[in-house]
Amino acid sequence: MAKKSALNQALLSGDEALARGAYEAGLSVACAYPGTPSTEILETLAGFPEIDAQWSVNEKVAFEVALGAATAGARSLFACKHVGLNVAMDPLMTASYTGVLAGFVVVVCDDPGMHSSQNEQDTRWVSLYSKMPMLEPSSPAEAREFVKEAFAMSERFDTPVILRMTTRIAHTKENVTIGERQVPERPAFERNAAKYVMVPGHAYQRHILVEQRLVKLKTLAERTRLNRVEKGDGKIGFITSGVSYQYLKENYPDASYLKLGMSYPFCDDKIRAFAKSVKKLVVVEELDPFIEDHVKSLGVKVVAKDPSFRIGELTPELIPALVAGKAKQEQKVAKRKPRLCPECPHWASFAALKKIDAYVAGDIGCYTLACLPPMSALHSCLCMGAGVTFHEGWRKGAPGKCIVGVVGDSTFVHSGITGLINAAYNRTKGVIIILDNSTTAMTGGQQHPATGLTIRNEPTKKLVLEDLCRACGADNVDVVDPKNMVEFRTILEKRVHEDALSVVISRHPCKLLRR
Amino acid sequence: MKDKVYSITFGGIGGQGVLKASEICSWAALFAGYHVKKSEVHGMAQRGGSVESHVRFGKRVYSPLVPTGGADFLLCFHREEQPRLSAFLKKDGVDLTEYVEKAGQAIENPRGLNTCLVGVLSARLPIQQEHWMKAIETVFKNKGVEENKKIFLDGRKMGQS
Repeated sequence: MAKKSALNQALLSGDEALARGAYEAGLSVACAYPGTPSTEILETLAGFPEIDAQWSVNEKVAFEVALGAATAGARSLFACKHVGLNVAMDPLMTASYTGVLAGFVVVVCDDPGMHSSQNEQDTRWVSLYSKMPMLEPSSPAEAREFVKEAFAMSERFDTPVILRMTTRIAHTKENVTIGERQVPERPAFERNAAKYVMVPGHAYQRHILVEQRLVKLKTLAERTRLNRVEKGDGKIGFITSGVSYQYLKENYPDASYLKLGMSYPFCDDKIRAFAKSVKKLVVVEELDPFIEDHVKSLGVKVVAKDPSFRIGELTPELIPALVAGKAKQEQKVAKRKPRLCPECPHWASFAALKKIDAYVAGDIGCYTLACLPPMSALHSCLCMGAGVTFHEGWRKGAPGKCIVGVVGDSTFVHSGITGLINAAYNRTKGVIIILDNSTTAMTGGQQHPATGLTIRNEPTKKLVLEDLCRACGADNVDVVDPKNMVEFRTILEKRVHEDALSVVISRHPCKLLRR
Repeated sequence: MKDKVYSITFGGIGGQGVLKASEICSWAALFAGYHVKKSEVHGMAQRGGSVESHVRFGKRVYSPLVPTGGADFLLCFHREEQPRLSAFLKKDGVDLTEYVEKAGQAIENPRGLNTCLVGVLSARLPIQQEHWMKAIETVFKNKGVEENKKIFLDGRKMGQS
């Protein structure tokens, strides 16, 4: 970094810039489970020796560890992709009530257009639902600035602060100014049951404070420089946020703008005043009509986007049609689809499954690509861990069929374990294959408990999957290398015909590992 | 012209060094004092799918994406990707894809193709040679800096002729 800081500017992605800003803000604990496009945040933070960074088992665990650190006095950060936040929703909703001691920032990267995701949920609704403030940068440089604001806001208002990015910001690089790290003084850790023990009586009192906090945050939203008015010629005015702002500036340099850097709670007075200052008002936002619905609820007349624009990512050339209120013209050009690497061990596992003509309950990872022709050997993908639980459900719903569940090693540790315990407990029979390539391959090869290495590649306690599966209640646990195709197929065929719950660990390391 | 934003679309498939090429270009523009935005998509792309990276630089850049019909230059490393990506080119934009074959013949190590093509591109951009050299040092760190500088200069010569 020496060379870059001499210049005081570096070319950083949104993820890297956010990590840099958090480091400069004195961040001390950071937790995440990998997920595109958020993965590089923790990878960058792990490069700073002052920060206690970890790959957590899953997002719920990550959120709780980070929040715990914040409630004990350390500035902390949790990062995830949009669907990862679903896994952490349980602690998140009540964290709004407990608040924090030191700053706690929840970073969520949405993926409009689903570059690498199973849905395109709009996380802005979570801020409304959880009654917590949300900041939304429009560029990597803003990501660095906003995360600092988020820490200050979190401490001032005693609340976690959600910082929402999208793929296009997380994976865009731009010039980012590098600053020094400043560590604020740690507040003293004290027992405070009324604040941190959320039994009904305490929680009722905290809920009162949450509603009061929301009122104070609304006042802040009116004043903050994050919600910026740019005066133009007054003919057309845009209320916008995130990367949409950049596309608009490209198309309408002379228009007026109300750029919302704080997307929740809303700055109602500012919105009304801005609406009065322009002849025509248009809300431009990716995905759901989050701003639009609110502006309409204020009784302000606004040009709404056609519902077709709620789907997919915006691009600069789509903007004129959107602003004109027209429907989206899909320009579908066939892209080369991703596929499993030629030497990938998953090919052999799926070849064996194809041979026995199995209905394969799938999961999330590289191996999801086995659903594509010519393999077409994976038949479901819902969420993390559902390969194990869909297996059980399918067996109940379609008895007599040859049903096999598959799940990756990292995904199994993330949320497959509970499903396996459930299967054993409820006397489910059948075969679960753990496709163990000894890494979190899809997101670029991150460590997890079963690799025995930390985020910094240091040795640590290694989770032994075969022991774990036996403890969960599997009757048989076989460990086989799928590249030994005959042996693998023989074991698989034997197990599917048995009246037992079997786990076959298909173990062969990913070729991309530690290149 | 002073406020002109230069837009370049890089494309190819996973493993061809598309992202590295756009990275060199972006650092060079940064060292030359421009505001740069570089857009890319990771994740599934590394599994052999289409890879696309947009670089834009100038006094002030807004959109990280090159709009359709907005690229000054197209640098496509894979022939099958070229028809799709050519939609990005401006009417008077320059398609440098024809250099892929030429560069492939000129270099000894096929892994240097991306650096060579950046050299070709460099001949047409308002960025001085020293900034390109510094960019190569930054991107390759200690692995193959000298080799890549040489390949880059060969490409630059090719682009100038």
